[in-house]
Amino acid sequence: MTAHTDPPNDPSPQDDDEHLPCGRLLSRVWDAWEQQADDPHLRSCPHCRQAVHGLDQLGSAVLGLREEEAADAPATDAAVLTRRVMDVVRLELRPGRPLPLGEPGEDLWITEAVAARALRAAAETVGGVRAGSCRIVGPLGGGPAGDRAAGAVEIVLDVHTPADAFLPHLADRVRDRVRDTADRELGMAVAAVDIRITDRVDPPGGGKEGRTP
Amino acid sequence: MTSDGPHVPHPARASSRIAPAAQAPAPAQASHASLVEAVARAVEDVPGVAFLKPGLAARLRSALSRPDPGTGRAPTSGVRLATGADGTGPWRVDVQVVALRRARSVDVARAVRATVERHLAARFPERPAPRVTVTVTGLV
Repeated sequence: MTAHTDPPNDPSPQDDDEHLPCGRLLSRVWDAWEQQADDPHLRSCPHCRQAVHGLDQLGSAVLGLREEEAADAPATDAAVLTRRVMDVVRLELRPGRPLPLGEPGEDLWITEAVAARALRAAAETVGGVRAGSCRIVGPLGGGPAGDRAAGAVEIVLDVHTPADAFLPHLADRVRDRVRDTADRELGMAVAAVDIRITDRVDPPGGGKEGRTP
Repeated sequence: MTSDGPHVPHPARASSRIAPAAQAPAPAQASHASLVEAVARAVEDVPGVAFLKPGLAARLRSALSRPDPGTGRAPTSGVRLATGADGTGPWRVDVQVVALRRARSVDVARAVRATVERHLAARFPERPAPRVTVTVTGLV
């Protein structure tokens, strides 16, 4: 395995993340709230509580707007919309670095966090697969001008697979889904997709369906 | 191997060269802001564009902590626009958008670029072609 570095996780100056007066990053506070982390600080700190309350208000407002616009829509639609809005908020706070779209030199970009999310979702369309860390390395560079491979990235994706899966076949399917999504949904040139199987798990109830992206 | 940067420096990494609309020189501030606003509205009409950055996080924080009554318009700092010091060089435009998931991101970005180029060419036919950078910062 080639030595790769993780995508940047620390907010860069152009990010919208901010430190609350208590010293905690807003994005971390929101993450902890969404994951229902058992953190005494979050319960006692007025700044963190206010930040969480703000996010909660946004969620309620989105739900309300959705209900106003389509009162007869199924409740699941509102939940999906709310989740997507929260995803956007989270990705704005921690966008990662820009990755090239299209041909080299087009000056078109997509932020790393957005691309990684789409690629993880693609992997999880394969039955029983759960995606973990998705690192995007590159672009690789070094090619002649106009060579699309010169602007291509390398994707390293960790996945959990069903315990009874035939791994080479499953890895190929995941790789194909990831490549297909990178090309057809994003338009990002990909030089290689490394699939790392980090665990094999028994699917609950024997379910074989992948998640909906 | 380290994470190499893109071949062409991304504008966010050289943001000192591009002044946001709010930081434009005072004498030209009104016209500059008007141009940014016009470009922003054109971009928002591009098929596949959901909205401009700044998006929800900034709106949430401003709504909760810094209410700004009387300004019903959406913020336009998702569009940055600059030109040479003498005001005659090519426009340098940086656009950040949240795109619709059902659209192909690169196609949306290309459409945004083409829209900005057409808009500026129509308003400033004497200027050289602008350099337009588009970044997709979210998918919904």
